[in-house]
Amino acid sequence: MSRSAAPGFAVALTVLVIGVLIAFTVGRYPIALSDLFSVILGKLSGRPPDVPPIVENVIWQVRGPRVIAAALVGAALAVAGTAFQGLFRNPLVSPDILGASSGAALGAVLGIFFSLGVLAIQSLAFVGGLLAVAAVYLIGSAVRSRDPVLVLVLTGVVIGALLGAGVGLVKYLADPYNQLPAMTFWLLGSLAATTLSDLLPLFGPVAAGTLVLIALRWRMNVMSLPDEEARALGVPTGPLRVVIVAAATLVTSASVATAGIIGWVGLVVPHMARSLVGPDFARLIPAAALLGGGFLLVIDTVARTGAAIEIPLGILTAVVGTPFFIWLLTSVSRTWS
Amino acid sequence: MLNRRTLLGSLGAVLLLPGRARAATVVDSAGRSISVPARVERVFPAGPPAAILLYTLAPDLLIGWPRPNREEECEYMLPDICARPEVGRITGRGNTANLEVVLAFKPDLILDVGAIAPTFVSLASRVQEQTGIPYALLDGRFDAIVPTYRTLGALAHRSAAVESLAQYAEDTMTTIKGRIAGIPAEQRPKVYYARGPRGLETGLAGSINVEIIEFMGVRNVASQRPGGLALVSIEQVLLWNPDVIITIDRDFAAGVRHDPLWNAVNAVRDGRVHLSPKVPFGWVDFPPSVNRLIGLWWLAKIIYPELFPEDLRALTRDFYTLFYHRTPTDVQIEHVLAGRD
Amino acid sequence: MKLEAHSLAIGYSDRLVGRDLDVVLATGEVLALLGPNGSGKTTLLKTLLGLLVPKAGEVRLDDRRLGSYDSRERARLVAYVPQSHQATFAFTVETIVLMGRTAHGNLFSRPTVSDRAVAARSLERFGIAHLRDRPYTMISGGERQLALLARALAQEPRFIVLDEPTASLDFGNQGKVMREIRSLAASGHGVLFTTHDPNHALRAADRAYLLRDGSRIADGPVSSVLTCEQLTALYGATVEQVTDASAGTSAFLPG
Repeated sequence: MSRSAAPGFAVALTVLVIGVLIAFTVGRYPIALSDLFSVILGKLSGRPPDVPPIVENVIWQVRGPRVIAAALVGAALAVAGTAFQGLFRNPLVSPDILGASSGAALGAVLGIFFSLGVLAIQSLAFVGGLLAVAAVYLIGSAVRSRDPVLVLVLTGVVIGALLGAGVGLVKYLADPYNQLPAMTFWLLGSLAATTLSDLLPLFGPVAAGTLVLIALRWRMNVMSLPDEEARALGVPTGPLRVVIVAAATLVTSASVATAGIIGWVGLVVPHMARSLVGPDFARLIPAAALLGGGFLLVIDTVARTGAAIEIPLGILTAVVGTPFFIWLLTSVSRTWS
Repeated sequence: MLNRRTLLGSLGAVLLLPGRARAATVVDSAGRSISVPARVERVFPAGPPAAILLYTLAPDLLIGWPRPNREEECEYMLPDICARPEVGRITGRGNTANLEVVLAFKPDLILDVGAIAPTFVSLASRVQEQTGIPYALLDGRFDAIVPTYRTLGALAHRSAAVESLAQYAEDTMTTIKGRIAGIPAEQRPKVYYARGPRGLETGLAGSINVEIIEFMGVRNVASQRPGGLALVSIEQVLLWNPDVIITIDRDFAAGVRHDPLWNAVNAVRDGRVHLSPKVPFGWVDFPPSVNRLIGLWWLAKIIYPELFPEDLRALTRDFYTLFYHRTPTDVQIEHVLAGRD
Repeated sequence: MKLEAHSLAIGYSDRLVGRDLDVVLATGEVLALLGPNGSGKTTLLKTLLGLLVPKAGEVRLDDRRLGSYDSRERARLVAYVPQSHQATFAFTVETIVLMGRTAHGNLFSRPTVSDRAVAARSLERFGIAHLRDRPYTMISGGERQLALLARALAQEPRFIVLDEPTASLDFGNQGKVMREIRSLAASGHGVLFTTHDPNHALRAADRAYLLRDGSRIADGPVSSVLTCEQLTALYGATVEQVTDASAGTSAFLPG
């Protein structure tokens, strides 16, 4: 057996657990660790805890949903990024490469432009992401080529650019007093408004997609080989690619619909996970899920406690992600060629 | 046959006609000297605040609106002026007017009301150079309403007519300021301005969105830092625990009473969540022009009810008649005060 | 068991590369495929592997149409060894070889104990067991080719098809790989490889198939097919043959 991945997994799990604890106890509204424990114990034992009801409310209605959402979105984006890096044989790929984020962004700004309710905006974003990738896939498969993966990437770039232009157009036409600020805030990414009712539409697609990707992790190694090699090894690459892209897109669209555009998680966390557990996708995908959840939890905690106003998630992940990535590129990397 | 005498005589008569407008030079709020032609019949509004300001003083001069008005809004204004065409906007955020289109409208004057920052001053000079049309830039801050009105009066040759509007503004602001001056700081309520469907967008200290709220001398809970708009979390709002919430979003106002989280906030518990009226133009936030004057009375009665016993319906009727040139019916007034579209 | 093609026309969606090709490969023998650049060797290889659809004619594996196998069934009978390449991800050599066991599991299965045993034996067979935990990106070209060979063997196939197995190898490793090819045939596999070097075909193959411009020039036992005249006709350039009378061995040199 090659070197054990157990220590790496232990680290990833620790990051997640610490992330959860920090997220629950740190925040604008002061809550002590002891309060947290008594509330949880109270829920388990059925006896009411001796903390003011407002504290209980904040823990269950505010922090709770936000923690779950951050962990889910972080895990989702990390796993989607890992799967795409394997599928596209490129460690510099992020979940946005096929245009899911751009499609979701267009859906959301259109929803804001037509003054729709919050649920409608989220649904439009979700559907927009799925449609964008479906369009990329349909157009990509109409092009006959020896390298189906390269065609997908190029189509994704083109469609992503087109959708980005669409977003620009909607912002241009939007009412600058009312709609434009709303669009700007949405596009920068935030979990500020997460409530319990947001969790179910998030949880379903994310769980489904992530489970599919985790189940397929043993085949991901083979999918990262050139197409002909993979087929010769007995893997039906065409259908499997569709399934992997669909699962990753489901997960990315649901995340973007809930939290807006959050970049860098899907790009950076797979690398952090790789340095912990190695490049074998069978270990990488679960490790990325744990690490991604913890990572976004920590970032979201900073986002909501750094100042009285919310710091957009997209900005924080870029501020953290960019120097980290530069360090990655310049340091001697044992994990890629 | 024209002889010199007839010619000179007619010329003299024309020049000596009383009350006739003359070409003039007016200094705008940015200190620029604007040469105003003798006849000003068509004025192009560079943005929504200019359009509204001009409509209140001289609706006949307004060429059109930056964005088309809705039917519901036109019920409170002069119908034919309200229906004038869409002309786009030259300045502020969201620049959509084509200068050739501006020229095609043949304006005598371009009016811009807003910030006097160097960016906008240079824009004004540039457009004036390119089109040859005098471009006046007026101060759009709430505190500057009175001098801005008087400058507009000079520009449009309506110096007499503008006095009633300027006086109303002056009286309103002085009266309200006077009454609240004596209130000690601890008795001034904490106010949170809630925007967006979840009520988590707010205006920071000094932002144009909360200008009139801060005019009322209250403590804007989000004023720890200056700026424009920002997002906050519900936790932060709980921590601030405002006494009064002002909002412009109907869904938020309707839903907040049933939300267990928001019910922990004083304002919600005490029933002090207030939805701002918005037709034909918003009373509190945008567009940032004189439409907010009536909002001052509304805010005053909400925040310091004992100090302001005036009848809001009568105030509304008077304001709309004077500024929007159309007297609303009682039914319409109720509709407006309920914050409906 | 036989892997055979009858009246095969090969090519891509937009063009025809070769036609009227009849190829037979039986288990236990080595077939070398020679031809100049652009002759269609690689296209023929991929069509025989089932990676390309024939434009006419058919490929039959164990007397069944190749197209009727799904990729898993086929992978348990035919293995492909591509030219060794730079990999994107630094999987360990063991992980690479384990990928050969994919066809023996289903979509979600993880490697079993027996899978690992087969992989271990395969590594031993090619003498690279000591490289088990080394990242694929940090071994030499020759070692990489052997790892790919081990992966093919781990598929436990009947046929192994290699695309220019010595292309980027140093002189010493070339000989080593050719010896392995012979031993694979000796252990009952049918082996097909393409090469630019007639000498490799002479040393390692039983039969040779000469392909030029998509048409068969000659095929048959190595001794009768690999002659100066045939090779000159094949490459369109003079070829010399050098013979060591005492040892009875000969070699070809480009003229």
